[in-house]
Amino acid sequence: MRVKGIIFIVVLVAIGFGLSMLLTDSWIEEKIEYNASVANEAKVEIDGFEFDLFSLKIRWDRLQVANPKNTMMNTFETGDTEFDMDFWPLLWSKVIIEDVKLTGFQLDTERETDGYFEMPIDESGEEEEPGFISEVTNQITGEIKKNAQTQIDEIKTDIDVDALMAKVNLQSLNKMDSLQTGLQKNYTKWENTLKNNPIEKNVDEIKKNVDGLEVPKLKDPKQAIAALEDVKKLSEQVKKLKTETEQLKKDFDQDFNNSSKSVGQIDNWIKDDIQSAVNVAKLPDFDIQSIGTALFGGNLLGDFNVYLEYIGVARKYGSRFVGADEEEKIERYEGKNFEFSDKYDWPDLWIKNVSLSGKTKTEIDISGTITNISNDQKKTGLPIIIDLGGVDKNKVSLSVKGELNYLTDEPKENVSVIYDGFSLKKAKISPSNLLPYELKEGKGEVSAQLDLIDKKIKSEIGYKAKGITFDFEKAGKPKNKIESVVRDAIKSTDEVYATALIDGTAKKLNIKVRSNIDDLFVNALKNTVQKEVDAAKKKIQNEVERQVTEKRKEVEKIAKEKEAQLRAEYEKLQAKVDEQTKKVEEKKAEIEKKKKELEDAVKDAAKNALKKKIGF
Amino acid sequence: MLLLKYIAKLLKELSSEAEPSQLAGGFILGMIIGLTPVMSLHNLLIVVLILIIKVNIGMAILSFAVFSGVAYLADPAFHAFGVWMLENESLRGLWTSMYDNEWLAMTRFYNTVVLGSFVSAVLLCLPMFPLTMFGIKQYRVHIHARVQKLKIVKALKGTKIYSIYQTVNRVRG
Repeated sequence: MRVKGIIFIVVLVAIGFGLSMLLTDSWIEEKIEYNASVANEAKVEIDGFEFDLFSLKIRWDRLQVANPKNTMMNTFETGDTEFDMDFWPLLWSKVIIEDVKLTGFQLDTERETDGYFEMPIDESGEEEEPGFISEVTNQITGEIKKNAQTQIDEIKTDIDVDALMAKVNLQSLNKMDSLQTGLQKNYTKWENTLKNNPIEKNVDEIKKNVDGLEVPKLKDPKQAIAALEDVKKLSEQVKKLKTETEQLKKDFDQDFNNSSKSVGQIDNWIKDDIQSAVNVAKLPDFDIQSIGTALFGGNLLGDFNVYLEYIGVARKYGSRFVGADEEEKIERYEGKNFEFSDKYDWPDLWIKNVSLSGKTKTEIDISGTITNISNDQKKTGLPIIIDLGGVDKNKVSLSVKGELNYLTDEPKENVSVIYDGFSLKKAKISPSNLLPYELKEGKGEVSAQLDLIDKKIKSEIGYKAKGITFDFEKAGKPKNKIESVVRDAIKSTDEVYATALIDGTAKKLNIKVRSNIDDLFVNALKNTVQKEVDAAKKKIQNEVERQVTEKRKEVEKIAKEKEAQLRAEYEKLQAKVDEQTKKVEEKKAEIEKKKKELEDAVKDAAKNALKKKIGF
Repeated sequence: MLLLKYIAKLLKELSSEAEPSQLAGGFILGMIIGLTPVMSLHNLLIVVLILIIKVNIGMAILSFAVFSGVAYLADPAFHAFGVWMLENESLRGLWTSMYDNEWLAMTRFYNTVVLGSFVSAVLLCLPMFPLTMFGIKQYRVHIHARVQKLKIVKALKGTKIYSIYQTVNRVRG
């Protein structure tokens, strides 16, 4: 035995142990903070981190996860948190945590320092493709912007038509100009075709030849047969001319059908111009959708996007590893691992149970569990289940339930959020100027149900205001006619609800906003301002039509006259061909008749000569 | 410096100072580490063995260096041997029980290269140990004197580092 060797090992172990006692906390904290910050794309900070190497227990006083979109805010933070890691999985580089006790959970908290994190350069050079959820949120953001532009309070019924028309570029005039040029070119082409075609010349030639065949001058059958051959040739020629004429007619008709279709488009072009002028004037169509959307669309869809972004984060991390089986590689010191049982088939990270407690911004004490957070649900066989909720002393409740299922290649998320019973006293139920009134009393409810299966979404988000009374006195007298109408419409209502329904795929997303006060508004608005809006529309229509009518008449006149002229020319040509066809056929019949007469005469003469010879 | 120390010591001990069995012991233990994947539990035990039993550390280092190169070429053969053993139906029960025991599973004998190379290395120990002893004896009788006359050895002995090492050795007694 080598004593020095034993001492060396003992010293080495002692140094290792001492260093691990001194350095592991800060080293692990640093590693976790860095890797989590890279994943979060903003700072993740842990305060009071402690790691017990022997019991494998981790705890911290505070965890802050900065919001990458607003680095002065935390997406969430936690207070005292404590959990144990399983020993054996760690030897396989897997982190399995049975139970996390997480207290002081809070969403959207302010930070004292900036949570910006300098991301390391991605050397793979691969950019992530925009996912389904980001496509949907982009579309919804677009819809919110569109809603903002169609505010009902921008209605103007008193319009200056001249000023408006100066802003509108009438497309139909340009289109009619182009059409007219195209038609002119076409007509010129057909004029030349009809003028320079060889049909007329050939008809004259045939006519000359037909006239040259003088039937009375045929004296014997031989001459008749020769004449018949000539007339047959002429018949062939005239048939060919007829075919050519018919083809010409076909081409002509086709061309003029296209021209007629283009002329028929003029009405649509003018309609489009009228609509764009109406749009510039911002004259609305009073349908239910536009009212509901203007009142509640922005808020509902904005909230929906927030929920969807949370699901997007879960999908990004939860389904990242689904189906990503690595290829088997045999390299130096790699080999192939045989698995004799599924004992070590753990995911890289598996937090079996998180017992969470905390407070919402509105001071509701929430608690509940989130189970089976893992990076590979195929290995755990279990989806993430969220069940959180709480009630405050005023019976305001919050419930968040959901299932994030990445067990198959089709990620599925199902989340339901209900926030109920909060006071609406002194609140406004819509940011729209159409509802500028605070509420004297009332309770609110916000509910959201989101179901996503891969790239399909079906969701509903709703607001409900119950037992409400509007404070009209505080708002003073209505500032305009529309506000007055709105006030009349809602004064007898004690409940308002609005729902946004979003379903479909990123390619075809259907967004509908409905509210029970849609009908009240529509009826009230229709009775008062619809007539004025209609009159304004009529004014615009008349002005657009006045400006384009002259051009329209000009184009239609050219089309009508030129077509008639060319048709007459064509018909003249066709008549000539028909006439010659008839003549050739008549001449043919005449020659055939003459030939028969001559043949009969020759037969009779031969018969008489024979009779004389035999003595009859 | 430490490596040079062990090489110089190895050359000295090869001549006559150390027992051939200590040199052969260092040789086969270094061979096992060289032939098998370095980061394995059994290699940790072998390193501890090298440190606490009286085997020649210089020989173990030399053997490790030589057999690491051999292992690089022999890996496909170790993999094939490992596959054969792990797929062998008669051994399946043994592998499964070892796999299901967390302590034994830490040896990673469920890996084709680890198992193949380890079993090969252990089997090689049986002929290599006596062969190495025989080789050392033959070296001392027939080769050592000629090695001492080699220009490279003379050059090595002429270096300042070697003379410092000699002085230190003298001082340490």
